[in-house]
Amino acid sequence: MVGLSVGEQHFLKGGIAQDLRADGRKRLTYRPIYVETGVIPQANGSARVKIGGTDVIASVKAEIGRPSSLQPDKGKVAVFIDCSPTAEPTFGGRGGEELSSELALALQKCLLGGKSGAGAGIDLSSLLIKEGRVCWDLYIDGLVISSDGNLLDALSAAIKAALTNTAIPKVQVSAEMADDEQPEIDISDEEYQQFDTSSVPVIITLTKVGAHYIVDATAEEESQMSSAVSISVNRVGHICGLTKRGGSGLDPSVILDMISVAKHLSESLMNKLDSEISAAEACEDEDLLKCKRAGTLLTRLISFLYSIVSGSLFKVKKHNKLHEDCDILGGEMRIEVMRSAKI
Amino acid sequence: MEYVNPEGLRLDGRRFSEMRQIVAEIGVVSKADGSALFEMGNTKVIAAVYGPREIQNKSQQKIDRALVLCEYSMAHFSTGDRRRQKNDRRSTELSLVIRQTMEACILTELMPHSQIDIFLQVLQADGGTRSACINAATLALADAGIPMRDLAVSCSAGYLNSTPLLDLNYVEDSAGGADVTVGILPKLDKVTLLQMDAKLPMETFETVFALASEGCKAIAERIREVLLENTKQLEYRRGAA
Repeated sequence: MVGLSVGEQHFLKGGIAQDLRADGRKRLTYRPIYVETGVIPQANGSARVKIGGTDVIASVKAEIGRPSSLQPDKGKVAVFIDCSPTAEPTFGGRGGEELSSELALALQKCLLGGKSGAGAGIDLSSLLIKEGRVCWDLYIDGLVISSDGNLLDALSAAIKAALTNTAIPKVQVSAEMADDEQPEIDISDEEYQQFDTSSVPVIITLTKVGAHYIVDATAEEESQMSSAVSISVNRVGHICGLTKRGGSGLDPSVILDMISVAKHLSESLMNKLDSEISAAEACEDEDLLKCKRAGTLLTRLISFLYSIVSGSLFKVKKHNKLHEDCDILGGEMRIEVMRSAKI
Repeated sequence: MEYVNPEGLRLDGRRFSEMRQIVAEIGVVSKADGSALFEMGNTKVIAAVYGPREIQNKSQQKIDRALVLCEYSMAHFSTGDRRRQKNDRRSTELSLVIRQTMEACILTELMPHSQIDIFLQVLQADGGTRSACINAATLALADAGIPMRDLAVSCSAGYLNSTPLLDLNYVEDSAGGADVTVGILPKLDKVTLLQMDAKLPMETFETVFALASEGCKAIAERIREVLLENTKQLEYRRGAA
């Protein structure tokens, strides 16, 4: 990023002091948030979140695994973040690794709680299939496509949306096996269980510039920050995690004040996110219905043949099967689906 | 395994010379100088171009032309099974191949002592990723206003069940038949990229190559339309139209 001149720095700081930021927002106003779900058809759940110029994609993939011996009654969740060099040339090669691991760690802490598993935002026991033997491994992957500040908030919103969109197939454990043998499992293609994401927290980052703090800082504002505190709050208003970044020291009373501001903001942010997510999910379902209605007998026959072939080669998620079938028609159908899915 | 059924329909219902649905969009990464999203069926690629800008590594500087750097990366969720090492050999090879293709078509002599970065991010991989990357890179370079000799376009074709097939998807690609990737400069009618794996008899190769070139020309038409539409939008916003 090109550096800011002294004049530009004064402009930014002065604006923030007067509660009028460079893009006209007040100190505690978020940029418009756009949410799109189901963007990665081959994942179990996915979402794309745009906050101003920041664009991130989160995907959730579920794979069959073995629970850890320390916690045999829980499934496993792992969070990985990748900063794409498209967001910033410095992320090329190994440049983005530091930021990626910092973001991944912060998100992991806020979603999964402590080492013992207490205080997790996701109910890990719902991922269990057979105690001590088989469980679901959830891999949450985040990708930063475009970065204009406030990555942590965008990523946590994307993960929350992706988890809401996630559908994990129902599993039947067949036959009782001896303790040291792998049990046979039957993964259903038809039935799915949705995730309960009401206790998944969101992260609110407050950036201190001069003597005031702002929410949802752009990249330019972040370059002028003295320190930033990221607080993860859940629906009930409990703090699920806290991270302070930046070299400058903060008075403890300031931190307490920031926490109360974050709690106050979290309510409106959660409601906004929930409404955006349900709008996005409704949009997705509508597109599937449109495809269904316009489909002809020939299309159904072709899609039936396709599903037989592809069902044996790789898992076709039922939720988006019709979406894929629409590609067979090509032409207007696909464009129509794409247009109505774009926000 | 039957990839082309007796009626001539492939696994996804296409005919042998039918390409997958193309979606092309410009300006998806606001921060980059130029960016584009290119989709061929289920293969989705984002290209971002930063440049021409000051050279970052003085030792790599070229006195009479611009330095073109390219990086290809796949997202963790881009393939069916979640394995993705960042600097594996395939990514390095693809970065090199795409860099050479784009370098041939950029007028690098006009921008000495500078550097042009092309970053490619694969969001979904369903066969034909290198073709989608080259097409996306061309759009992104045009969006960045970087002078080029021609639009570099690319398409792949294969040969399965004794039929040449245009634009293979992942299933057809992994079938074990030949896979020919062609990159051409359509107006100049020159080939900038030609890669093939497996083996083909000479006449069959010529047929498959001709089919891929036809596909390239169709993509070039599409790219030209998108760029024209984009320019009209810009004119409208400026109030000139």
